[in-house]
Amino acid sequence: MLEAKHLHKSYTLKEKNGWLSRRKQQIKAVNDLSLTIEKGEIIGLLGVNGAGKTTTIKMLSTLLAPTSGTISIDGINAVKQPELIKRRVNMIAGGERMLYWRLSARENLMYFGRLYGLNGNTLKQRCRALIDKVGLTEFADRPVERYSKGMKQRLQIARGLINDPDYLFLDEPTLGLDAPVARQLRVLVKSLAKEKNKGILLTSHYLEEVEELCDHVSIIEKGHLLLQGTPRRIIQTIVKDRSLIVVMKTLDKENWHWLKQETDKLGIHAQKKETNEGTRVDMKATFDMTSSFLALAQKRNLQLIRFDAKKPNLEDAIIRLTEVHD
Amino acid sequence: MWIAFSATFKRQLITMRRAYPWSFFIGHILDGVYITIFAYLSYHFIFQGQLNTQFVSYTGTSDYLSYVIMGGVFNSFAVSLLMIVSRMLINEMREGTLEALLLTPSSRLGYFLGAAIQGLMRSGIEWLAIICVGLFFGLNLVAAHLALLLPIMIVLCFALFAQALVLGGFMLAFRDTYITQNTLFVIMTLVSGVSFPPQFLPDWIQGLSLIMPLYYGLELMRSVMTHAAPSSDILYHLLSLSTLGILYFAIGLLFMKRMEKSVLEKHFG
Repeated sequence: MLEAKHLHKSYTLKEKNGWLSRRKQQIKAVNDLSLTIEKGEIIGLLGVNGAGKTTTIKMLSTLLAPTSGTISIDGINAVKQPELIKRRVNMIAGGERMLYWRLSARENLMYFGRLYGLNGNTLKQRCRALIDKVGLTEFADRPVERYSKGMKQRLQIARGLINDPDYLFLDEPTLGLDAPVARQLRVLVKSLAKEKNKGILLTSHYLEEVEELCDHVSIIEKGHLLLQGTPRRIIQTIVKDRSLIVVMKTLDKENWHWLKQETDKLGIHAQKKETNEGTRVDMKATFDMTSSFLALAQKRNLQLIRFDAKKPNLEDAIIRLTEVHD
Repeated sequence: MWIAFSATFKRQLITMRRAYPWSFFIGHILDGVYITIFAYLSYHFIFQGQLNTQFVSYTGTSDYLSYVIMGGVFNSFAVSLLMIVSRMLINEMREGTLEALLLTPSSRLGYFLGAAIQGLMRSGIEWLAIICVGLFFGLNLVAAHLALLLPIMIVLCFALFAQALVLGGFMLAFRDTYITQNTLFVIMTLVSGVSFPPQFLPDWIQGLSLIMPLYYGLELMRSVMTHAAPSSDILYHLLSLSTLGILYFAIGLLFMKRMEKSVLEKHFG
């Protein structure tokens, strides 16, 4: 199990204050953050830009030392014994960095594999298996500088798996990827956790991705933990409103008054708007109003041309949460 | 350390074969050749082969052309090796591979050594090319203390490698390669006795030669390759060069480690 307790990370920023003098400013990137990752579990770390997600990942992967707090991975202190931890973790970042562009996929993996102490047939076989896994077999000996963005990202994943880490940190892994490639990556991430029993920490701005993949989510803002739980639980806790949008060809005054009265009785807040499509009614309630509304529409034989019941999602929850804290 | 050494050696070799840095290669050779030709022309056509008597007393030789050509050969060699090693980490940072490298539990010393030994192949070719040109312009090679050539070369390479670690630390600190390296190279060429003995310089500048491995390296190489010198002088210079190398090595490793941390905090934090 990976356990981070009361992590703090502060930076000193120097800003120019005149010709020669500089003003020092302390920035708290992470502020009393605690989280755990079990093997086989995918944890989402969410927050707006500058919330401290990348700094947290860098502390967990030993690239940065926390200002205070402890990180232990399977009982090993990550701050005191980073060399042991480096063998058990790896990090994959979105974008096209972390690869040697003049080397081929195979040469990159062989190089990183050797830096992790692998060699001989074990290394060769692992490189071959990873190249196959990320679908680069055909291009394995082509220099990376001739790869597309998606191919580079797939190779990054292979690099992140070269040491067969127990814990994997994914920082925006699908950033800028085409939908099919991003989907393949999601399938791979899921299988790494569920079939290979790896503990995964994922940050992403694509919240559907987080909702689809993560068992638990931690939401942070200004380095501070706001909320932790399953995606469903977070949505239920934060976003109470559900919305329903219906469009009818016509809705006369009498029917609208009747509908307004009935929805008010049910605790549904309804608003009417004339659009090019027809009359649009936006409804909001704290419960699923689909069946109640359909029953009302049937009573007055209202002709519906569009019916959109929108369930709140993680995005709504994050927006609501950051609005509350701003 | 061995694994990181061999992995980095191989990686650098592949990269060099695939994208040979011709501009650096030719640039270093031209620097050496320029010193050689400039010395040849000025010695013969401006100074009419006349030497200041102090030159002989400072250097122990009247063969000015061999003195200068050896200076050009080893100055180019030193610049090449210093550049190859010192730019390694800042290049990783610029190419976006530094994080991936620092994530691994590999030995940093092995990494730098791998780069240095591979770089020696390139520097060696440049060195040979300048020597060959030098032979046409008056370089007289003699085998005065040939048995010492290899140990001196090894100690010189070690000291330059160690100096490159310190230079690399400064590059990371200033996030710059060009101004940092060229500041060192200008001072190094001036005070190390490349084209004239440092004793011609004002006293306050002369002191700088004592912290330049190239100064001791040139004294030693000239002693064993161009003119004989007392063995006691050779041993003194060899000891000085080794001590300087060890000092640079200790400072370089600590400084580089500190700068790695600082880069991660400032650049990636």
